[in-house]
Amino acid sequence: MTAEHPALALRGLVKRFDAKTAVAGVDLTVPAGSFYGLLGPNGAGKTTTLSMAVGLLRPDAGDAWVLGHNVWADPVQAKQLLGVMPDGVRLFDRLSGAELLAYHGLLRGMDPAVVNQRAAELLDVLALADAGRTLVVDYSAGMKKKIGLACALLHGPRLLVLDEPFEAVDPVSAALIRDILGRYVTGGGTVVFSSHVMEVVERLCSHVAILADGTIKRVGTLDKVRGEQTLEQVFVTVVGGRTATGEELAWLSQ
Amino acid sequence: MAVAVTDAVADVGAGRRVSARHFVRLKLRVMGNNFRGQGWRVGLFALGAFVGLWCAAFGFFLFAAPGLADNNRYATLLAAFGGGLVVLGWLLLPLIFFGVDETLDPARFALLPLPRRTLVTGLFAAALVSVPAVAVLLASTGLIFTAGVFGGWSAALTQAVGVLAGLLLCVAAARAVTSAFATMLRSRRVRDLAAVLLAGAAALIAPVQLAATAALQDADWDRLATVAAVVGWTPFGAPWTIGIEVAQGRVWAAPVKLLITAVTVVALLAWWSRSLESAMVGTASSGRGSTRSTATGTAVTQLFPRLLGWLPRGSFGALVAREARYWWRDARRRANLITLAVIGLFVPVMLNLGSTGLTAGGGDTSSPVLVTLSMVFVGVLAATTLANQFGFDGSAYSAHVVVGVPGAVELRARMAAFSLYLLPLVLVISGVLALLVLGQPGWIGLTAGSLLATFGAGLAVNTLLSVLGAYSLPETSNPFALNSGAGVARSFLAILSMLASAVVVIPMVVAAALLGDVWLWLALPVGAAYGLGAALLGAYLAGDVLDRRQPELLATITPRR
Repeated sequence: MTAEHPALALRGLVKRFDAKTAVAGVDLTVPAGSFYGLLGPNGAGKTTTLSMAVGLLRPDAGDAWVLGHNVWADPVQAKQLLGVMPDGVRLFDRLSGAELLAYHGLLRGMDPAVVNQRAAELLDVLALADAGRTLVVDYSAGMKKKIGLACALLHGPRLLVLDEPFEAVDPVSAALIRDILGRYVTGGGTVVFSSHVMEVVERLCSHVAILADGTIKRVGTLDKVRGEQTLEQVFVTVVGGRTATGEELAWLSQ
Repeated sequence: MAVAVTDAVADVGAGRRVSARHFVRLKLRVMGNNFRGQGWRVGLFALGAFVGLWCAAFGFFLFAAPGLADNNRYATLLAAFGGGLVVLGWLLLPLIFFGVDETLDPARFALLPLPRRTLVTGLFAAALVSVPAVAVLLASTGLIFTAGVFGGWSAALTQAVGVLAGLLLCVAAARAVTSAFATMLRSRRVRDLAAVLLAGAAALIAPVQLAATAALQDADWDRLATVAAVVGWTPFGAPWTIGIEVAQGRVWAAPVKLLITAVTVVALLAWWSRSLESAMVGTASSGRGSTRSTATGTAVTQLFPRLLGWLPRGSFGALVAREARYWWRDARRRANLITLAVIGLFVPVMLNLGSTGLTAGGGDTSSPVLVTLSMVFVGVLAATTLANQFGFDGSAYSAHVVVGVPGAVELRARMAAFSLYLLPLVLVISGVLALLVLGQPGWIGLTAGSLLATFGAGLAVNTLLSVLGAYSLPETSNPFALNSGAGVARSFLAILSMLASAVVVIPMVVAAALLGDVWLWLALPVGAAYGLGAALLGAYLAGDVLDRRQPELLATITPRR
């Protein structure tokens, strides 16, 4: 049944904060089995869009469906199929890594035996087993990203929504995360992630959407969006920006 | 070393010195920006200012009463005891209830090249800009009035200086104590500290009982006046009594008392300055001891504390286990627990000692109504700890939203985890009160029953409040820190929840008053059932609300960055 539905469908999402419109009508269809990159400069509304897509933020208008289940009308079904890693959000960081995974698993009503087995495996693969009983609050930034990813993966979701998964991650950990996500998509899962690192997106994604000023500017398969140019050139053209002339900040050179 | 830093700064900073004025302006600017586009914040602030003014007016007339009545006799008494109470309030209330406004978080200044002295005076000056400080200043002008009536201009002027000094003392005391306590709570020594505090509280019972009984038995005013005179020579009373001293012809006392105050303020600031360093470095380096010990057992067994191994391995059990761990591991929650334990033991003991002393007949005359009331106080206070339980979690709560945890399950688990800590405490408090203070083992049912009923009812009220009236807490290392403006919200929430809980539990007090001796036996089962029923009903009702507004709750408790 799920094969007929897109993994994630957003229709007319709008969010205003006070006077500022953060997201002004986003439509997006993420086909099942795709590796989808959501690109945009800082403040473009990526986090707001993804938060509304996964049920963390109630939109002012519009709707979101996860594999055909409405996130706001039928949250239980939708949230079971969904794994989320928000950005800039604290974890329950006064637990150790293993405790945190056990907590997430049991919270989702998983069988304790399955939780134990998967938690051990995830900690092992993500090279977090060495941390032992260290609390997550004392983890490094990269380790926090990895344990966040483990929490999102634990229940075997059909759709992964990741906000800035490669932010503040060292190259070794980034390679590991890329590898795991790649295998997840090969195995039939769908990944949507936001980023402003062109190189990662070009390497990984089958589809991209460029978001700026709260609306989607370009959308489609990577090749279609990119055309003859590099993704970075397209991005800069779409978003618009100034380039340094070399005159300003002269006092910085000594 | 401080000198070296100052020199270095003088070299780098091109001329312009940073003074306390900058900190004050910064605080005003931050407060102003917080109001921008947030009508309800302006409203809350106005309400807080109004209440502050009201209290100030009340205080003014109290302090000015001797002058208004033209009665010299009680002037020292009022000044010493009233002023002393104000200082005591500034010392204790931030720890128990209100926290300190940390609009200017010291950690934000860590990277700036500021000498410690500038930082401390600046933060101190900024701390003076607050509604309570203004209220105290206005109220204590009553003292100036009184001094003026009896001693003319010279006494009034002296007292004006004294009032300013007293205000400095109050704010310095509040800052130093919360900061030092915060530092201690972050460290691993906190367990020892808690033990010491509790032991100290217990040890104080005996001498306090004697003193209170003695004082109240022959409660003649002359003896109280002697006590007031003594208090007037401690930092608690010194700044408030200098005007009266001048008026009564002891001009030499004024500079001495001012000196006492000044030395105390400087000492407090020095103390604050020391603990400020750890506040600036933050939590990152406060690594815990057991970091390197290797994990044993499976992930699930690690999550559940050993004592809670019997919990069901499902979402309810996981929530209880996580909450139970958090009440100890999160400095903010631990601070609440420890102060609660100390206050919960102190207040009923003092209250009942006072009343037994008043009737002077030994242990058996404290009335069931008074005992019930003091237990109501403890129960309400305990439950108020949960009034912003979601605020403790902050953005971490998003994990629950992503999973879609059912509201009623979540709230029942939170109540259960808190009760794991509170129920033993309830037993201890009611036991201590019944056995040691009242000398009536038979009353243990009454004390425990009243406490349980209030606690349960309070849980119900506060759970609903925590869903509807949550606010965000700053992500700093100081467990007493509040966002600017949150202080008012917090006070009102606390008062609201206390009133509501107290109303819900009125039947217990009425029963204590009407039923007589039968109630001594019935209080425990009835109280326990009442509390449990109220808590479950509260979780059911509030859970329904929570189910509908999970994302909104998440938005209100996520700190603005």
